[in-house]
Amino acid sequence: MTTQKSADDRIALLQGTLDLLILKTLLLAPCHGQGIARSIQRQSEEVFFVDHGSLYLALQRLEDKKWIAAKWGVSENNRKARYYSLTAKGREQLQEKASEWERLTRAMGLILNGTGPGTEEA
Amino acid sequence: MRLFRRKRNAADFAEEIKAHLALEADELASEGLSEDEARRNAKAEFGSVSVAAERFRMRGRAHWADDLIRDLRYGLRGLAKNPGFTAAAILTLALAIGANTTIFSLLDQALLQALPVEDPGQLVVFSFAGSHPGHWHSEGGSTPGHVHEFSYPMYRDLRDRNTVLTGLIAAAEQDAGVTWNNRAENVSTEMVSGNYFQTLGVRPALGRLFVAGDETVKGANPLAVLSFDYWKTHLGEAPVVGQTLLVNGTPFTVVGVAAPGFHSMVWGRRPAVYVPATMEAVVEPERDYVNDRQSYWIDTMGRLRPGVTREQAAAALNSLFLALRKTEFTGLHDQSDKARNEFIGAAHLNVDDGASGFSPLRDDMRTPLTIVMGMVLLVVGMAIVNVASLLLVRAATRVREFSVRYALGATRGQIVRQLLAEGVLLGVAGAALGLLLAPRALDLLIHWMSGPSADHSAFSATLDWRVLGFTIAATLVASLLFSLAPAAQFWNPRLADALKQQMGTGVGGSLRFRRTCVALQIGFSMLLIVAAGLFVKTIDNLRNVDPGFATDRLLSFDLAPEMAGYAPARIAPVEQQALDAIAALPGVRAVGATNDRDLASEDREGDVLVSGYTSKPDEEFDVELPWVSNGYLQTLGVPLLAGRLFDGHDTAASGRVAIVNESFAKHFFGSIGAALGHHVSRPQQDGTDATIVGVVRDVKHESVRDAAMPTCYVLFTQAVKPTELTFYVRTWQAPQAAANEVRAAIAGIDAKLVVGDLSTMTEDIDNNLLSERTIALLAAVFGILATVLAGVGLYGILAYSTAQRTREIGIRMALGARRTAVVGLIVREVLLLAGGAVAVTVPLAMLGSRAVRSQLFGVSIADPGVYGAGIAVILLVAAIAGLVPARRAASINPTEALRNE
Repeated sequence: MTTQKSADDRIALLQGTLDLLILKTLLLAPCHGQGIARSIQRQSEEVFFVDHGSLYLALQRLEDKKWIAAKWGVSENNRKARYYSLTAKGREQLQEKASEWERLTRAMGLILNGTGPGTEEA
Repeated sequence: MRLFRRKRNAADFAEEIKAHLALEADELASEGLSEDEARRNAKAEFGSVSVAAERFRMRGRAHWADDLIRDLRYGLRGLAKNPGFTAAAILTLALAIGANTTIFSLLDQALLQALPVEDPGQLVVFSFAGSHPGHWHSEGGSTPGHVHEFSYPMYRDLRDRNTVLTGLIAAAEQDAGVTWNNRAENVSTEMVSGNYFQTLGVRPALGRLFVAGDETVKGANPLAVLSFDYWKTHLGEAPVVGQTLLVNGTPFTVVGVAAPGFHSMVWGRRPAVYVPATMEAVVEPERDYVNDRQSYWIDTMGRLRPGVTREQAAAALNSLFLALRKTEFTGLHDQSDKARNEFIGAAHLNVDDGASGFSPLRDDMRTPLTIVMGMVLLVVGMAIVNVASLLLVRAATRVREFSVRYALGATRGQIVRQLLAEGVLLGVAGAALGLLLAPRALDLLIHWMSGPSADHSAFSATLDWRVLGFTIAATLVASLLFSLAPAAQFWNPRLADALKQQMGTGVGGSLRFRRTCVALQIGFSMLLIVAAGLFVKTIDNLRNVDPGFATDRLLSFDLAPEMAGYAPARIAPVEQQALDAIAALPGVRAVGATNDRDLASEDREGDVLVSGYTSKPDEEFDVELPWVSNGYLQTLGVPLLAGRLFDGHDTAASGRVAIVNESFAKHFFGSIGAALGHHVSRPQQDGTDATIVGVVRDVKHESVRDAAMPTCYVLFTQAVKPTELTFYVRTWQAPQAAANEVRAAIAGIDAKLVVGDLSTMTEDIDNNLLSERTIALLAAVFGILATVLAGVGLYGILAYSTAQRTREIGIRMALGARRTAVVGLIVREVLLLAGGAVAVTVPLAMLGSRAVRSQLFGVSIADPGVYGAGIAVILLVAAIAGLVPARRAASINPTEALRNE
């Protein structure tokens, strides 16, 4: 029971960021899972490595929340693929999550780049 | 819930992964890798496909199904770890389910079920109030004001002249000699009205059933319908329609076979053959009732016309009944005002609900069955309390286990689910075992109750599935509820408290509940032990009653020459011939015969005129009037008090003689000696005048329960008409040994003669005590069961509460308490609890016993022996149950106990 819980915790940690990245990727155009993974890796200059298992889980979760919608289609090179697209609700969520993220990174930046409380008072 | 919300299945997901891998491979290939390499890389990059699939499945699928299997597996493991607890709980549930279902199946058949006929709700049963001078033949079930037997002419008049019934039917039962393929058999025959089957809505299985036209005038309808069971088991499903069989020597044409499952309008009757009521004189050669308005013998039932209520029918039929009674009265011998008032003034026709029919047997079974059902309910109550307390004990010991689990992140739901799974497992196992037990128990019980005549049992060994379902559901719910008890702790947010509390001394509400459980169990078992004691003592008393004659080495059988087609004039001679033939057998000490079977709940009563005795005004005094052979009193060994017994000089040709018993002599003459020489006769019957030549001691006749009636014995050879006889054969050796010789001797006279009901007197007495024996047996079984259950429950609870008090005991011992004092502490607590429960139960038991008083014999409802034994058993069980945990407590090492904290 304990191990399962810690696994859940790890997923929860990734969850917020991965969801946001997926939503952002889909903002431009509908895409399939493999495309989303590639796109995230490429755009982050290969910093992010997307765990594919987590990706599909995240996609499923977002689909369940009705932030994205899915339907089967055909890729440029004639492969069958499941295409995901952003819903209106997803778009709202993206804006919200993105600004949340910006606030978070700004705050993190302030702390990490600042000189600390002791110096500020002195 | 989740199960139904799912939109995607695993196959669709697998498809997507496949697509992903293909796309990835394409891309890698375009970057210059070989196709194989690309695919391998794609796969490696993705990670394990199966892991992803598994994670998908975990997310989306209804994993409660998987969880359930896991919970059940955990549950099984948990139960297997505690085999003692598991076995006790399952066995308890099974016994409760089995016993309740078995007994209720009988109760339901006897008391609750409607007749298996069309629309039983429309049926009504008739009985009447008012006098019934003349012959009255009853199988029981009638009480003053509710006489169920009507005269046949009255029945016909009521049937033909009413406007409120669609049908009025009649039936009476009698054993008759039925010969098929030259094989004679004594079988139950029902004499029925022509509209019997039609009105009940019974269909033929073969041929046709009777119609109104089959019942015309006396002796004109020699037709027979067979019951399905008889046709199947005795006639081998032969093509019988149109064939002839003999009823008491008279040929009857078989017209058909009744549908399976139907027996009679009277519950408990199992007729083999149905004949029209107009053939009564053939079935009962001793009687001739059909055209006699003063012979009351046939039971009736009616079907209400649609739209007519029972009250309307009663009103209409009563005016008709009264008019008919008025006409009947003019034909009576006694025209006094008193007789008129009794015959017409008091006359009333009762119209009662008849959905389940009229049944003397049911009336007999009602009290015993209700008592047994009461006992079963006590057992079921005990079982539920027992399982509840067992589960609570188990739950309490697991509070810690669940607290830890909860702390480690298991959700409440998960814990509750697992507890439920264990409850379900227990319930299902108990139910399965109960299901296995119930049909066997039912079979056994029916066999036991019906004795040697198993195929005539009024009960069928069919389980009542509704009851079974109900009991299973009830026990399941109970076990589920109680299995949830530990979960209740988690609704209390102060978990740490729960953890702490479990190490405490076990004080608090749950302890009170457990004490209540123990007290209830002891109370229940006390009640059952007392019941068992009372009934066992009753049967013991009944068995040891001295009937006034020796009952050992006595063989009895029936001989009815009229059933073999003997003409009336030839009956008494062939019976005498049989007596002589048996007397000549080497193993036979003496032989005698009577037409009034002893100790078999039979009687032949009537009033007598006694010379030298003037009856008091309005005196109606019936005496027992057996017709016997001249060796009967000697064979039974009835002691002579004055005068002489019948002997070989008393023949059909010699002067009529009578012998009376002590009660008779004292009632009519004041003393024994004064009776000799007086004359007795039956009023209005010529040729019955006889001289009293002897006085014998009173002996039990109807049953060992009943005191002897005033009795006047006369000789069957000097009687006004022939009769069937029961023979008593006193043997030198075991009576069974003479059985074959007796059969051979009778067959030697005439192969057509049927030796019926050959049995020993001890068997007869046992059969006569059937309901008492059944109650005693079941009471004893339930009593033992209750004691065992109480012992197990008590032990479980004590073991637990002692374990809870480890610290307290440790402290006591650290402070210098001796081990014996610790044992004493626990045992005293148990005995106090048991004593308190017993003290409360004893008055209740006495109150309850009042309800069963009618079934007791020779034992007071406050019998000190029974109660003393009951209390002793309870205290003994309590002491034993308490001693084991007490010894364990005494072996506690104080330092360890304290460190335990």
